[in-house]
Amino acid sequence: MTPPLFEARGLGKTYRLGEARIEALAGVDVTIEAGALVALAGPSGSGKSTLLNLLGLLDEPDTGTLKFSGREVQALPESEKTLLRRRLLGFVFQSFHLLPVLSARENVEYPLVIAGVGRNERRQRATEALAAVGLADRLDHPPDRLSGGERQRVAIARAVVHGPAALLADEPTGNLDSKTTAAIVDLLFRLNQERGTTLLFATHDPALFARAPRRIRLADGRIVADERDGGG
Amino acid sequence: MASGFGLALRNLARNRRRTAISLSIVAAGTVGLLLTAGFIQFSFAGLEDALIHGGLGHLEVVAKAAADERSATLERSLAHGLVDWPAIQADIESLPGVAAAAPNVHLMGMASKPDGATVSFIGLGVDPERERRMGFTTKLRAGADLAAGEPAPGQDQVLVALGLAESLGVAPGDVVTLLAMTSDQTLNALDVRVAGLVTTGIQDLDTRYLKLHFRSAQRLLATERVNDLIVGLDDNDDLATAQAALEARFASREDAPLAVVPWRDRAPFYDQVRNLYRGIFWFLGSVIFVLVVLATSNTLVMTVMERVREIGTLRAIGTSRGQVARMIVAEALWLGVLGALVGNLLGLGLIVLINGLGLQMPPPPGAVNPIDLKLAVVPAALVGSVVLMTAVLALASVFPVLKAVRLKVVEALTHV
Repeated sequence: MTPPLFEARGLGKTYRLGEARIEALAGVDVTIEAGALVALAGPSGSGKSTLLNLLGLLDEPDTGTLKFSGREVQALPESEKTLLRRRLLGFVFQSFHLLPVLSARENVEYPLVIAGVGRNERRQRATEALAAVGLADRLDHPPDRLSGGERQRVAIARAVVHGPAALLADEPTGNLDSKTTAAIVDLLFRLNQERGTTLLFATHDPALFARAPRRIRLADGRIVADERDGGG
Repeated sequence: MASGFGLALRNLARNRRRTAISLSIVAAGTVGLLLTAGFIQFSFAGLEDALIHGGLGHLEVVAKAAADERSATLERSLAHGLVDWPAIQADIESLPGVAAAAPNVHLMGMASKPDGATVSFIGLGVDPERERRMGFTTKLRAGADLAAGEPAPGQDQVLVALGLAESLGVAPGDVVTLLAMTSDQTLNALDVRVAGLVTTGIQDLDTRYLKLHFRSAQRLLATERVNDLIVGLDDNDDLATAQAALEARFASREDAPLAVVPWRDRAPFYDQVRNLYRGIFWFLGSVIFVLVVLATSNTLVMTVMERVREIGTLRAIGTSRGQVARMIVAEALWLGVLGALVGNLLGLGLIVLINGLGLQMPPPPGAVNPIDLKLAVVPAALVGSVVLMTAVLALASVFPVLKAVRLKVVEALTHV
């Protein structure tokens, strides 16, 4: 039997802010199957980003356990977590976070460069990834000559070019207008459906949240609702 | 795509002003090193040339006993002088690469003018014709140099140093009587005409020094001997070979052994000057090293702090700490290489400019003549500065690298 892609038990995270301690995540249990499409919602400070960061191996939990593809990962050394992120995870950020000195294609090539993929292959894969997000005619454009929606498309292409098992997106449409938001969401959903890439995204947009087949609501660092289409 | 050094170069091009500042720091340090090395190298070469062609020659052939006993002064006894020196001279001059072997006679005594002024002197008897052949220079300040040929009896000439001439109150054309003790301890006198006034370049020596033909000196000392033979070579680089050849040639002279002494052994202060200059160079080099490390490290830290979110992004998508470190080190190495190359160009331009201006520095303590401010182009310094500045920037990148790799991914991603 294939283990879940993510399996978190009692996941907790507390931050210090001066003298104060802020409990960002308070013992979250969540299981996400491979190929799932999951939306996270909740007010600011509810723990959405913290949960994504922990699941994406960007941060370490203070309490609880996290399994990735059945393997316990919370205690792995940073170098192994880096390798897992490089090979199996993709990230899309609200502010795109493209490298300004690289062209669109070079930004998309970057994950393949650090993975040691040969020049010709990575150029081809980056070109294909950009074509898949509708930017075949923007290959050599630097980020500052792209619109917000185009930048986010480049970021999505960068996040999926290496064929990750999961794509984690923290408010991917937060900086986009409604028309562009719809296009980006369509793109993300299509990647999930066509490639089977697990998609987890956090959003404040109720309409977008409602489109996801699985919807998790967080409040005060806890999961307060976990709904699935079909009565899950 | 640009990766490694290419990406580093693009990152440097992002903040051109800061990169220009860093390059200026490295270039300024390089220029400082080049000018210092050029000045020191020129000084060494100038001093070496001044010593060799100012009278030391490349080699000195002298009786071994005299070499063993002698002090560093010009006052030398003829007791161990060379008797068969014409044969030795002919032997030396038959060697290839030898310009000439000139006899020297060292003497001391009293010089007096007919009206009564009397001053002690230290004198040197030379062969003017051979000295000219060896490229020796006389710093003539008035009158004429010694005639090339041997002076006939009664036609003896002398060159008097400025200080001694002033004490005696003589000018070119005047007659001076030289008094000295002969080898059999009797007092002898010789009237000589002042051909010209000279300077040795050393203030103290100028108060006592005179120079005359070695035949005149032999007449005064009533001897046929000379103290030594000064050997001049066509090429400075042949010194060791010529020394070995002469030593081999004279090895069979067991009854009157000879020593072949290179010029540096007769000019101990030359090595002292070299060591002093080297000390100054290393001190200045160390100061430049520290300044460049501190200044560029600071700008590299600023670069890292400006790109915290970017570094966070790189780490998030799987860039290892080592890869981030290499990216920053690559930027530092570019700054080192490019800065040093710019510095080399600027330094070469400045050297040409300074040499073209014909500047002079005041005479050093005890010296008479100003020193030309010239700078040599030192190829080793051109290459060395690139290597050194690259190493300096690699060192300067240590702190920024530590700063970058210690960033926590999540904190870096949300850095404002």
